[in-house]
Amino acid sequence: MSWLSRLLPGSGPDLSPEQQASLAAITTRPAPDLGRSHFETRYVIINAESRPMDGGGQRLLGVGAVAINRGLLHPAESFRAELGTAPADALLGLLHFVARAPLVVYNAPFNQGILERGFEQNLGNVPALEWLDLMVIMPSLYPERIAGQARMDAWLGAFGIDRLDRHDAVLEALAVAQLHQVALARAKAQGLTTPQDLLESQTSRKWLRGS
Amino acid sequence: MVTTAPDTLIRTNLDFLRRHPPFDRMEADALHFLGERLATAFYPADSEILMPEDGPPSFFYIVYRGKVQARQVGGVAVTEYATLTLGPGEGFPIGAISAGRPSTNGYIAVEDSYCFQLPAADFLRLQEISPSFQLFCTRYIASLLNQSREQLQVQFSQRAAEQQTMTTPLSNLFKKAPVFVAPGLSTRTALEKMVEAGVGCLAVAGDDDKPVGVLTQSDILKRIVLPGFDLTRPIADVMTAPPHTLGTNASAYDAALEMATHGVRHILVVDAENKLKGVISERDLFALQRIGLRQVRSSIESAANVQALQQASQDIRQLALNLLAQGIGAEQLTQFISALNDALTRRIIELNLDRHDLYGVEYAWLAFGSEGRHEQTLSTDQDNGIIYVLPEWADKEPLKLRLLEFARDVNNDLASCGFPLCTGNIMASNPDLCLTIDEWRERFGNWIREPHPEALLNATIFFDFRVLLGDEKLAYKLRHWLLSMTGGNPAFLKAMATNALDVSPPLGKIRDFVTDDDPRYPGTIDLKKFGARLFVDAARVLALRTGVEATSTVQRLRQGGGRIGMPAEELSAMADGFHFIQLLRLRHQHLDTDHGAPGDNRVKPDDLNELDRRILKEAFRQARKIQLRLKLDYQI
Repeated sequence: MSWLSRLLPGSGPDLSPEQQASLAAITTRPAPDLGRSHFETRYVIINAESRPMDGGGQRLLGVGAVAINRGLLHPAESFRAELGTAPADALLGLLHFVARAPLVVYNAPFNQGILERGFEQNLGNVPALEWLDLMVIMPSLYPERIAGQARMDAWLGAFGIDRLDRHDAVLEALAVAQLHQVALARAKAQGLTTPQDLLESQTSRKWLRGS
Repeated sequence: MVTTAPDTLIRTNLDFLRRHPPFDRMEADALHFLGERLATAFYPADSEILMPEDGPPSFFYIVYRGKVQARQVGGVAVTEYATLTLGPGEGFPIGAISAGRPSTNGYIAVEDSYCFQLPAADFLRLQEISPSFQLFCTRYIASLLNQSREQLQVQFSQRAAEQQTMTTPLSNLFKKAPVFVAPGLSTRTALEKMVEAGVGCLAVAGDDDKPVGVLTQSDILKRIVLPGFDLTRPIADVMTAPPHTLGTNASAYDAALEMATHGVRHILVVDAENKLKGVISERDLFALQRIGLRQVRSSIESAANVQALQQASQDIRQLALNLLAQGIGAEQLTQFISALNDALTRRIIELNLDRHDLYGVEYAWLAFGSEGRHEQTLSTDQDNGIIYVLPEWADKEPLKLRLLEFARDVNNDLASCGFPLCTGNIMASNPDLCLTIDEWRERFGNWIREPHPEALLNATIFFDFRVLLGDEKLAYKLRHWLLSMTGGNPAFLKAMATNALDVSPPLGKIRDFVTDDDPRYPGTIDLKKFGARLFVDAARVLALRTGVEATSTVQRLRQGGGRIGMPAEELSAMADGFHFIQLLRLRHQHLDTDHGAPGDNRVKPDDLNELDRRILKEAFRQARKIQLRLKLDYQI
């Protein structure tokens, strides 16, 4: 509960009591069991939408997310928010949609980085979440397709996944989600049957690469 | 306004669906219903998507990307294909999910594939809200029917090959191995052999089996008996040489031509090496020719006596078998049987008119029941009656007596031609069924006014009347009067509807079919009582309600159903269901009762192949549909 102290007045952004309650509700809910199989797990695939800032770096504009629940991607289980004038509400909405599910992104240094900065700036806190980066995982699962780290387009092309509109954060998340379905199929075949297995594999991979 | 995330994803689903039939023609509401319910799943190459052992499918699948192969599982081939590849936009398993039973095929991704999945309950709901999708599924099931018919053809072809047409190869016409002797054999021994084998034609062939001559019965008188030929001399001295021969691939027609050209009655059939394979006689060809539709018809119409008609009645049976073998549908087949039986009955009546003078009497011979509906199978007994006009100047009793005597002879002749006397005495020779038009009206009127169980049973038999011979106007008047009585009589129609709903389709909740609990017939379904009759009774109510004059079940369904606004596709599906059950009945009666046993309607679902079982189940579902309509309309 140490992060709660950060929410004390003066130490971060001003959150209304309702927003504070909302944040507390999210962060105190029980974490899902990461030791269950992929097909009993709900993953949330996130894509951040951003714009370069004048002074360098990227500014978070919005976010698109879709869930893969028990292996299935259902249109109703999706989320979109623009940060706009109420960034805290937008990000709280996202966290509610995520519901502490393991997150999946393509290119974590960018997506995870910009989102965590967004949480920090607008909610005064970075919630503890598990992040899977397909950019790291895919080459270990499908080395026969692409051996090293590659751009997202290369992987989408390898599995014939359409990138319908790169300016729509939800459709970008959809493409990553389809890639994640491909990843899960091979992970299971390789004995990486749970989110925990994937997370551990990702860590050792990063460590091997010396990142 | 920002588009919500679900809207964005639904739109991508819809964009895909609109590019693929049958979804490209789907109604907007239905398409949206589908688009928002499709979940996407990924199946890597060589993975199983759906297998028979998974039980009734939970999802309807539409291939989104990749290739899926449907593979036959198990030993019995139920469709013409061993494998079938499905690409983007194609859905499966339509039959299994419609029927709520395990798929017969295994579905396997042959490359990395994405599939849309729609929950089974939503699939059924989609059929309800989308007429175009329902039509698509109905057509799909109809295509299964065609496959079943093709399969039937194969099943029959062997049996029918012997008696098909004049194009049949001679090799299919031999009844037994040829009887032949060596040319050096004494004439006496050769003739003894002929008697022993009971043949009219003796072939003579060398050690190499090649025919060198022939001796027929008619030669014996002219060449042996009258000239006093020495019977110790070899047969070669008296035979006809060289013999007329044809190859095994020559047709029956070729043989007929050869016989006509050379004035001979026998042809020796030889193989490519000129070895003797068989003997074809003029009689073999005659039997072949007799069994054609036209031939049967003309032999009936020119028959001089009942004996000739008895032969014709056997020919009708044989013809029906051949037509069934050629894959003809139940609708046409029953029409043929009905038309030929009509012709036969008319000829019997005409022959009896030579002995019974009914000149000047206005009357008509009526057919009731299945005969009245043009739906006779081959094991139906006779149901008939007479309607006549009593002239003002005439005495009723003598006229009626004349008609009854005439009817008795017709009934007996029909019985001798394979239409058994009706055990319930529903025959024109029954004084209760030889009535004037006023008497018929009175009788029908009583049943309509007081629809007690027996009256309703009578209505199901007698209201399906039709004129076979005589004054059509009489039946026409009676029909119009009947329809005017029933059309505006909801109480009677409700009673008829309740009667029609007495028996439900034998569909099981757990098992596919509910079979008879009669211990004498374990595992069977009576396809007359629990199949055909469900359609027949419901269609009759429709006809009596909406004033349809036709008596055939399919016509009644199509016309009557149309008049109360049932969609044509739905009615066609019902008609298909009825026809399929009739086809099974006919097939069963023809195939399974080949050995002279009386035909029945009991079919064992377990003995049917998988495809037929599926279609039978669908047929019963159609029966349930029409029954449901009656239930709703009459609040039963």
